[in-house]
Amino acid sequence: MLALQLAVTGLQTGALYALTAVGFSLIFGSTRIFHFAHGATFAIAAYFFYFVFQAGFGTVPAILGASAGAIAFGLLIYWLVYVPVQRHEGSFFTVFVASFGVGIAVQNLLGMVFGRGFVTVNTSLSRSSEILPGLYVAPLAWVAIACAIVFLGALHLFLRHTHTGMALRALSDNPELVRIFGLSPQRISAIVFVIGSVLVVPAAIITSATTGLNPAIGHHVMLISLAASIVGGIGSVYGTLLAGLILGLAESMALLFVASQWTEAVTFAILFAFILIRPSGLLGRATAH
Amino acid sequence: MEAYIFNLLNLIAIYGILAVSLNFIIGYAGIYSLAHAVFFGLGAYTSAWVGLNVTPSTFVTIPAAMLVAAIVSLVLALPALRVRGEYFVAASLGLQVIAVTVFSEWKSFTGGIGGVLAIPPVNLFGAEIYQPREFAIVSVIALLIVIAITLALVRSSFGRNLRAIRDSESAAASFGKNVPLIKTVAVVISAALAAVAGALYASFISFINVESFMLDTSVLLMAMVIIGGTGTFLGPLVGAALLLILPSAISYLSFLPQTEIGALQQIIYGLGMTLLMIFRPGGIVGRRSGT
Repeated sequence: MLALQLAVTGLQTGALYALTAVGFSLIFGSTRIFHFAHGATFAIAAYFFYFVFQAGFGTVPAILGASAGAIAFGLLIYWLVYVPVQRHEGSFFTVFVASFGVGIAVQNLLGMVFGRGFVTVNTSLSRSSEILPGLYVAPLAWVAIACAIVFLGALHLFLRHTHTGMALRALSDNPELVRIFGLSPQRISAIVFVIGSVLVVPAAIITSATTGLNPAIGHHVMLISLAASIVGGIGSVYGTLLAGLILGLAESMALLFVASQWTEAVTFAILFAFILIRPSGLLGRATAH
Repeated sequence: MEAYIFNLLNLIAIYGILAVSLNFIIGYAGIYSLAHAVFFGLGAYTSAWVGLNVTPSTFVTIPAAMLVAAIVSLVLALPALRVRGEYFVAASLGLQVIAVTVFSEWKSFTGGIGGVLAIPPVNLFGAEIYQPREFAIVSVIALLIVIAITLALVRSSFGRNLRAIRDSESAAASFGKNVPLIKTVAVVISAALAAVAGALYASFISFINVESFMLDTSVLLMAMVIIGGTGTFLGPLVGAALLLILPSAISYLSFLPQTEIGALQQIIYGLGMTLLMIFRPGGIVGRRSGT
């Protein structure tokens, strides 16, 4: 029963990992921007939700606030940081450092404004109930899985069946060709940032109601997203989705064998093994360079 | 006040060694490691263990620390041979996270979260050096030796090979350079030099725990190198001095609560990194055009 309990918890964690990691992978895959501040987007969304919710405005305004915060941050960092950095050079490392710096600043700003302790949003949905003998599941677990299915399903339809979605996939293949077709790579990139940032919002809100938040959470989220993107194969949205689920499950199932302080090490041991043995990831097409 | 100045000088020298050794692989080999604090920590723990259990002589503790760090650094060299860029950053991050778990759990060697207490001071030919003023002589000399070693390496044919690999790995290989060997040697040297800083740090502070060797430290070290200027001789030193003086400079702003100084320091260097990348990617000392 313990294994089943851990599997369900793992699935919930994995669904959230998949949502955040797909956002990162989409941004990196189509714009080649190593958006390390993706974790900061997560933290901003989560704290905006927490703030509006605690202020007593209710759930829907809180969700809107979180989305607005995430989208605004995504667009701002794209226009104010990435576009200027890429104007003169934009090597992988320059973008990474610029993004990293923003992430550090956001983490500490959140700490100064909201305090450095753990905060949780209390809702009736986070209370677990026994659905099978010995198996406790909170309604939020189903919400997490449902969110992952709805959002990633919508993303799939968008990428496959809309003109913008096709342009977005074309951007990752050949930005020059996109320009020749009369589309603006910058406009499309901005759209990618909006989508990537929105994907983070459900995961951020659910995390704030389950495991809770602290300002350093962005770091953890970023590490997981990076790990999932590489294990899944950089540039492959579906691989990342799969890898997010696998990492969530692995982190949870690892408790059968090791103490809880080792779970993060398990995730990174998997990542390390993939980088050594199969850098192109589960479903990746691009090989490491 | 005087003790305070010498304390700061010692820290600048120790972090200077770390920044110089990190710059050696970032600036000259293009290996962007976010795991440098691991080797800092290994050096500190090893020299503390040797100092407490074998002999306090610094001529034994430092070489032991270098040896252990050099051996473990092969784990970092492995991904460096396979992948570049974002893949290597991810691999080094993974190593850093795993190392922090090991540091906090391997209690017999590292003392766990509680750390190691009462580490013997630097001991040269039986003379114990623990006063900040005397220790400053030791740490600055160590820094100068590390700078001399890296400068000599960078200017040798080995350094030229490294830069060739950084700029184009396949071109270097086609000229018959043994790329895997050169990269591995660079990583090993960098880790061994970082261990020197670890050994000095442990014997100077006389207490170490895992908090000094976490991802934050690796990030701080990387920030020092980048803000100062990658691939330059003075850059890492300027970066180390600047980022270590920053907290005390901020604490003169008396309207700020003491608890916010750390956060403000991180905000300043975070935004500093971003602004530098936008306006001057080569760093403060670096060339104007790019890394």
